[in-house]
Amino acid sequence: MPEFDNATDAPRATGGRAPDVFRVGGWVPMRQYRDDEVVDFAIVGTGAGGGTLACKLAEYGFSVVALDAGPYWRPLEDFASDEHHQAKLYWTDERIVDGDNPLQLGSNNSGKSVGGSTVHFAMVSLRFRPEWFKARTLLGYGVDWPLDWREMWTYYSEVEQALKISGPVTYPWGPHRPRYPYRPHELNAAALVLAKGAEALGIRWTPTPLATLSAPRGLAHPCVYRGMCVIGCATNAKQSVLVTWLPRALAAGAEIRDLAMVGTVEHSPAGLATGVRYFRDGRWRFQKARNVVVAGYAIETPRLLLNSASSRFPDGLANSSGLVGKNLMVQANQAVWGLMEQEIRAYKGPPSLAITEHWNYDDAGKDFFGGYCYMSQGPLPVVWSGTQSGKRGLWGQALLDEMQQYNHQVGLKIVGECLPQERNRVTLTEERDQYGLPVPRVTYSYCDNDQRLIRHSLRFMREALEVVDARQIWDETDDTCHLNGTARMGSDPKDSVVNADCRSWDMRNLWICDGSVFPTVGGVNPSLTIQAIACRTADRIRQLAARGEL
Amino acid sequence: MKERALTRPHADAARQLNLSSALLALSVLTDSGVEHYRGSFQNRVMYVPLGVAALTLGAGVFGMAQPRLRRHAARDSIYAVAAATGAAGFLFHAYNISKRPGGMSWLNLFYAAPIGAPIALTLAGLLGKGAEVARGHSIGRLAAAVSAVGLAGTAAEAALMHFRGAYHNPAMALPVSVPPVAATLLGAAVCAPGPRIGRLARWWLKFTALLGFAGVGFHAYGVSRNMGGWRNWSQNVLNGPPLPAPPSFTGLAIAGLAALRLMDEEAHTDRGVRR
Amino acid sequence: MTDRYPGYDVLAKRDSPSWNEQTRQVIDERLAVRADSHRFFTDEEWPTIVAVCARIIPQPQQPDQPVPLAAMVDLKLFENSGDGYRDSRLPCLREAWRRALRALDAESHKAGRVRFHQLPVAGQDDLLQAVQDGRSNDPAWGDMPPPVFFSKRLLHDIVSAYYSHPRAWNEIGFGGPAAPRGYVRMDFDRHDPWEAAEARPGLEEQARRHNARIR
Repeated sequence: MPEFDNATDAPRATGGRAPDVFRVGGWVPMRQYRDDEVVDFAIVGTGAGGGTLACKLAEYGFSVVALDAGPYWRPLEDFASDEHHQAKLYWTDERIVDGDNPLQLGSNNSGKSVGGSTVHFAMVSLRFRPEWFKARTLLGYGVDWPLDWREMWTYYSEVEQALKISGPVTYPWGPHRPRYPYRPHELNAAALVLAKGAEALGIRWTPTPLATLSAPRGLAHPCVYRGMCVIGCATNAKQSVLVTWLPRALAAGAEIRDLAMVGTVEHSPAGLATGVRYFRDGRWRFQKARNVVVAGYAIETPRLLLNSASSRFPDGLANSSGLVGKNLMVQANQAVWGLMEQEIRAYKGPPSLAITEHWNYDDAGKDFFGGYCYMSQGPLPVVWSGTQSGKRGLWGQALLDEMQQYNHQVGLKIVGECLPQERNRVTLTEERDQYGLPVPRVTYSYCDNDQRLIRHSLRFMREALEVVDARQIWDETDDTCHLNGTARMGSDPKDSVVNADCRSWDMRNLWICDGSVFPTVGGVNPSLTIQAIACRTADRIRQLAARGEL
Repeated sequence: MKERALTRPHADAARQLNLSSALLALSVLTDSGVEHYRGSFQNRVMYVPLGVAALTLGAGVFGMAQPRLRRHAARDSIYAVAAATGAAGFLFHAYNISKRPGGMSWLNLFYAAPIGAPIALTLAGLLGKGAEVARGHSIGRLAAAVSAVGLAGTAAEAALMHFRGAYHNPAMALPVSVPPVAATLLGAAVCAPGPRIGRLARWWLKFTALLGFAGVGFHAYGVSRNMGGWRNWSQNVLNGPPLPAPPSFTGLAIAGLAALRLMDEEAHTDRGVRR
Repeated sequence: MTDRYPGYDVLAKRDSPSWNEQTRQVIDERLAVRADSHRFFTDEEWPTIVAVCARIIPQPQQPDQPVPLAAMVDLKLFENSGDGYRDSRLPCLREAWRRALRALDAESHKAGRVRFHQLPVAGQDDLLQAVQDGRSNDPAWGDMPPPVFFSKRLLHDIVSAYYSHPRAWNEIGFGGPAAPRGYVRMDFDRHDPWEAAEARPGLEEQARRHNARIR
């Protein structure tokens, strides 16, 4: 039995090597840079944005150091089948939440791992509806993206190939897309309930395109349907950034620094980024870089930019528009639950094996802007008990009796589009965390359109359960997912933080490449889009470098 | 079909058909055993193919070993039952697929009851019947045709399952390329018999027979490749690539070879008679 | 509450392919928590938290040792393990609990001139219901809204402790740890031999026999 060196105690990516996530106790060589060596790119965060970008830039020949506050997990060895223990994957540092609809963070949407939130995500890998990239012009709400859907379509293909997405042979919605590299997974009973309900209501459904393997790939094993995806995949079937982009990044000469919390981005008197100040192995350090990419996801990214305020930039970096931290968007994650006569045992298999995007593509009869998809669910015991108690209000014998129905439980849950609102934002408080950095405050309130979308979805999903004879149906109204928008991209520096290339308007060598750059959020899970944007950004950086415009 | 007396090579070829039927029956017995166990024998009728395959296997072994080379009524009926059971199984499987959400969709073809699998039992019955009939009639060309169709159909089933596995390993292309060539050559030998075609067909059939055995090895590698390997056998033998399936190619290839022998013998004897 | 999965014990699979080494270590630690251990709550506070846990998750008396909920909550507070966010209306984790326990005792003094744990069980339930419904208003709560504490802290911490314990998994028929061995049969009314059999009416003995054989 290899010695368990605890990933959270001391950095693992040191001494010229990084963990080989595919081999128990194995290592891969890792190129290392000295702090005083000026690397081409210092990337803060190794998730869907930062990890993908680190890989692509390293493969294009740039020198890259990617820093992550989280540990460098070895999924085959470090992951236990236990919800409480696996909370180690989440961002559990303190954050304050307020607003009309205070958000749940932590396990709900925030990861702290090398590989970011993709280490615990539910692997749903969907493309944007093309019209959403021009939401204002074509659909009359939100704002337009400065990106063309046709360009994004090819980047989606690149990401789907890189992750060997397991998806249906043909996809029911949207323009033609190439066949998913791997075939879809078998449906569990919870997914079959969604399928039957959809057929009864006359709408299309599909097995969900998932970033988990339905066949072997290299040294990674196919899914064993253990159903613990959101607490960490212990088989490497889940194609997280940790087991896809990062091994490629290492092979291409990138350095990954785990347990490295970046506190500020420093800049020269001339107003150009010079590198990042970070805490690792007991002390503060400084990595010099020609370019800095901030990819900490929608709370840590604005937090870092605001905390990097200086006399020259009193409102934080890249913030001449005043929009850093603003327009925080989540996605509605409401659900409808019920009980079936048959045993469902939804804890088996990935949580969302079937999905319908009907209400993303059909606008008939909607009293709201935007769209939503809904998918089947398979909550594990602790999170399910939280839903029944904290959200539904059950306790005592009533809770125990209801929990006994666990194996007959079914549910449908949406990922719904919430509109950008400037009042929803990330700001800094006076409290300090364990690094001495200001604790962020996350303020969120729904708007009327959000509420109408939610009501529509609850009505429809209720019908979708009634029609398959589910009983004791109830609505879970207090849930959101994902985080986007706090450093949005646009074509006008007065109205956005970065341009279409994810380059900040204010500082030519400061880039932002994660979910913060979304101007609207759409009705699909964001991970595929974030990775596609990162691939595009890498291509643009290569072009700009070749033209001497970097 | 012409009545004829039995020469030695003719008898051996007939016995070889018994062998091929037995191999197919063994494959069906173990494969449907594992798969229907995986299906929790939810419908009582799922026990039937196990019993019928076992009887067919016994009949085949008996047919190979028996010194007197005569038709046997019991074997005859068993083979007839096997053919019918396979056909019924096909209908059951088709129903199982079509009643799930999505009906005849790729998803259900991948994961519901495998549509082509019961036909292996029908083939075992038909080839076994052929072994019996060969003891007194000329059925070489018919046996060759059945074998060719069987090889093509089994290749199609493998193609479907390997498509589900996304052809993640290049070796998965072998069972969808080699047997169809053998089937084509066998078909050509039926339509336009000749020594060169015969040699080529034999070669490909022997290759196919070997491939059937190699397939078990490949599938065993596939089982060990899954999470937990052989230690997790209670999941991986069920979820992983089916170990008993590839030898059906061996059975069909042996039937094809037997059919070629019969065709040769029948032609030879015909020429002898005419002379 | 009927025994829906008679004889089912996820611990029987401890040495099977369903558990890996890391899981064994983690669950062993959880099972080693002693019911009377408290390093955060004071001796004064202890009876209150024990009583609250017993009302939120009423556990039957012997023969089995009950799940040591109060000790598990105490451990969480001793380690100060947060969830990564705090509702702005609540003080931090430790302060919230201390204040709440004081407030519960204050409320019960108003009601029956005794401390919370000395109230009859029905009185304890009534008081907790009042907290959940927002009818509690003793100044001891301070600026912390009782219903918010109840749903986001009290229920969250106690209930999650219970359902993280193998005994709760047995009760609800959860498959338990599952790595490297996951599941094969995922269709309606189907389960793998290593999963719990449900005791449908008339089939209790069959279920019990199945569950006894699980490896």
